[in-house]
Amino acid sequence: MKIKRKTSRAEVPSMAMGDIAFNLLIFFVILARAQDDSHLQWTPAKAANIEAAGHSKVSIVVDKDNKLYLNGGEIGVGQLADSIGEALGDLPAGERLVLLKVHQEILAQRFEPVIEAISEAGGDLVHIVEDEQKK
Amino acid sequence: MRLRRNSNLLVEPPSSATGDIAFNLIVFFLVCASIQPDSGRKQTLPKADQVEQEQQQNENIQVEIARQAVFLNGDIVTMETFQPKLKAKLDVKPRPEDKEVVVKSRKDTPYSQWIAVTSRIEDAGGIVTLQLEEEQTVAVP
Repeated sequence: MKIKRKTSRAEVPSMAMGDIAFNLLIFFVILARAQDDSHLQWTPAKAANIEAAGHSKVSIVVDKDNKLYLNGGEIGVGQLADSIGEALGDLPAGERLVLLKVHQEILAQRFEPVIEAISEAGGDLVHIVEDEQKK
Repeated sequence: MRLRRNSNLLVEPPSSATGDIAFNLIVFFLVCASIQPDSGRKQTLPKADQVEQEQQQNENIQVEIARQAVFLNGDIVTMETFQPKLKAKLDVKPRPEDKEVVVKSRKDTPYSQWIAVTSRIEDAGGIVTLQLEEEQTVAVP
C-alpha cells in the first residue's frame, strides 16, 4: 500500500503585511532624515523677485546658532569647498545647484567664506529666501 | 412574555486594518511634506580668484555694506535711492565686464541686509563680485 505524503501549505500571514510595510517605511524615513536639514532652525531673509530653486544635491545651512551644515551634517568652513566638489562630482554646468540657507541675523564674517567656498567648488549658488511681499 | 433585548452586540472596527491605515496616513503626510519647494534667488558669482586686481577694481563700481548703511563709491545712500543711482551708473557702461560691482561687507553686516543690497545690484543689471579680506597670520618675534 502506498502511503500518500501529507502536504501542508505554508503561507506568509497576510494579516501582518500592513505592519511589515509600516515598519519598513519608518526605517527608510529615519535613514532619509539623516541626510535631511529640515530639523535645523533658521529664519530666511526676505528678497524680491524670487523663483523656484529646483532640485539640488547640495544644501548648506548656517543655522541660528551660527553652525554650518552640509546636507544635514555639521562641517567646518575649511572642508566645505572640497566636500561640495565631491558631492557635485562631474555634473555639468546648470545642474550644479547649491542651495544656501542662512539665518537672517548671521554676520558677513561667517557667511562670506561659505559663499566663497561654493564659488571655489564651481557651484551654482541659490540663496533660499522668502518673498518680501509675503506677510 | 417579555423579551429581553440582546445587549451583547459590540461593534468594533476591524483591528487587522489599522496597520494599513497607518501606512496610508504616513505616505500621505510624506508626499505633502516633499512637495513644498524651496524658492530663492540665483546668484552668479565670478570664480574665486586670489590674484589681486587692483587696476580693474578701480574702474568698477564699488559698494560697501554696513549693518545699517550702504555706500556707493564711498557715498552713503538710502536703500530707496540705491537701486536707481546704481542703475544710472551701470547704464552708461556698455561692456559686460564693466558691469561687475565690487561688494565689500563690513564684518558685522547681517545676511538680511547683505541679500537686500546684492539683490538690488542684480536687479539693476550689475554682476556681484565679492571682495573678501584675506586672513594673514603674522608671527611676532
